[in-house]
Amino acid sequence: MSEPTTDRAESAEQRDFLQVTDLHAGYGQARVLQGLDFWVARGEVCAILGPNGAGKTTTLRALCGMVRGRGSITLNGTQLLGRSPEQAARLGVAHVPEGRGTFNELSVEENLRVGAHLRTGVGRRRRAERAAVAADLERIYGYFPKLRQRSRQAAGSLSGGEQQMLAIGRALMLRPSLLLLDEPSLGLAPLVTRELFEIVRAVNEEERTTVVVVEQNAQLALDIAHRAHVLEAGRLVLSGPAAQIREDGQVAEVYLGVSVSARKTG
Amino acid sequence: MSAVTEFLQQVVEGLGSGAVYASLALALVLIYRFTGIVNFAQGELAMLSTYVAWQLVASGMPFWLALPVTLAVSFAGGMLVERIVIRPVQGAPELTVVIVTVGLFIFVNALAGLIWSFTVKDFPQPFPDGGLDLAGVRVDWSTLGIIGVVAVVMGLLYLLFQHTAIGLTMRAVACNPASARLSGIRVGRVLMLGWGLAATVGAVSGVLVAPLLFLEPNMMGGVLIYAFAAATLGGFDSPVGAVVGGLFVGVAETLTGAYVDVVGADLKVGVPLVIILAVLLVRPQGLFGRAAVERA
Repeated sequence: MSEPTTDRAESAEQRDFLQVTDLHAGYGQARVLQGLDFWVARGEVCAILGPNGAGKTTTLRALCGMVRGRGSITLNGTQLLGRSPEQAARLGVAHVPEGRGTFNELSVEENLRVGAHLRTGVGRRRRAERAAVAADLERIYGYFPKLRQRSRQAAGSLSGGEQQMLAIGRALMLRPSLLLLDEPSLGLAPLVTRELFEIVRAVNEEERTTVVVVEQNAQLALDIAHRAHVLEAGRLVLSGPAAQIREDGQVAEVYLGVSVSARKTG
Repeated sequence: MSAVTEFLQQVVEGLGSGAVYASLALALVLIYRFTGIVNFAQGELAMLSTYVAWQLVASGMPFWLALPVTLAVSFAGGMLVERIVIRPVQGAPELTVVIVTVGLFIFVNALAGLIWSFTVKDFPQPFPDGGLDLAGVRVDWSTLGIIGVVAVVMGLLYLLFQHTAIGLTMRAVACNPASARLSGIRVGRVLMLGWGLAATVGAVSGVLVAPLLFLEPNMMGGVLIYAFAAATLGGFDSPVGAVVGGLFVGVAETLTGAYVDVVGADLKVGVPLVIILAVLLVRPQGLFGRAAVERA
């Protein structure tokens, strides 16, 4: 496995790609996030780690508009906070929710086409856009050959790992500038998870898609991440290059459970 | 007339009324698929559409021109109902939404009475008199016409859902609204579209049944019960089931009316209720419906 380059964020322009400032968010009375500040550079994989209930998922949901919040989230200078999920999607944010959220009654290919539904175009651009969507479909099948085999099958009949692949594939059909992955390893066998993370790494390297991944399995996430943030009780307790966090045994013990190499369950 | 032709005659007539039940059942199923709501006002909306058609014809418009105009008006009306009446209670407890549709039922019924009064009106028969003679079985043009119109509507819906981009987004919303949102689909607009379509399909049933029943504000009450039976039988989440269920209920209704002396013409309204009860007892998800289990 190649070492990920740790710091791509030299220029200020890149650092400003995703900027989260003093983010407060929660559900009703429950205030989950208590003022988060972090940034993600363009083209990097950022892992958000931490114990259960730390606010990892809430952070992702705030980024894609599923949860309202206070503070500021800017993507390329555009304010994301206060937008609905459909607006966020239109701004290039593709969120793969926990539990995958595939369209179970639709075929695999239809799922992917739903992901591309924003890309229609009118008049002369229509044909060009259609060709681009067809090309993207091929590209996604290239990443996930199993999906091609099952393209006519209903998504609901796929295995958990295949559904997760489909969910990521659908998100990529949006041609997102920011890909959000919420617990992609949830409920999957270790081998499948590893394959999935390798694909995410390949997507990031080949398409320069910026990825924010929330993961219980810190080891896996740190393997593909350039940078990581550790959350605890709605606050950021640690940020830094992934390699540094991975090697800090004490950090691992205090914030990530017993050991980063042990698979955290529950 | 032999016993066999007599039987087939009843079946043909049953298919005619079954087609009407099928289209109203299809309207119910459409809304249920999109919103999880059982729309008790579906029949009344169809009745209102039928009055619109009647008004157009009464003011001199030819029927076959009045029909598309009526369908367009119904489509817009259905969208409006979603936006104004249903959207505000979206996400409220089920009972709240049920009460809202019952309220809509009463409102639309009273509105039609207010505008057109409760006295019955003659609705023009759009199909010519007479019919075909198929080996002793008489098939009226009107029966054929009803089945034909409903078949065309079903075919168009099938094309819309299976072969267009907008149909795909509609199915995505029906399947998983949260994920649809995350893909950038404007779910609110799709739901409006769904209600518009349902109102249109319902309007077809109203316009087709009116010449047989006389037009009055309570005209669709009985049809709605048959449609409920059809949707329950076919499965509330299955459009194909709604059609099959509608035809079955229509045939069952005429056959019991003709052959079971105890039932006769007066009691055959009980047929759909027996069907509903039997389905709920034996196979609650209906013939084509999906049982509420999900793969973990």
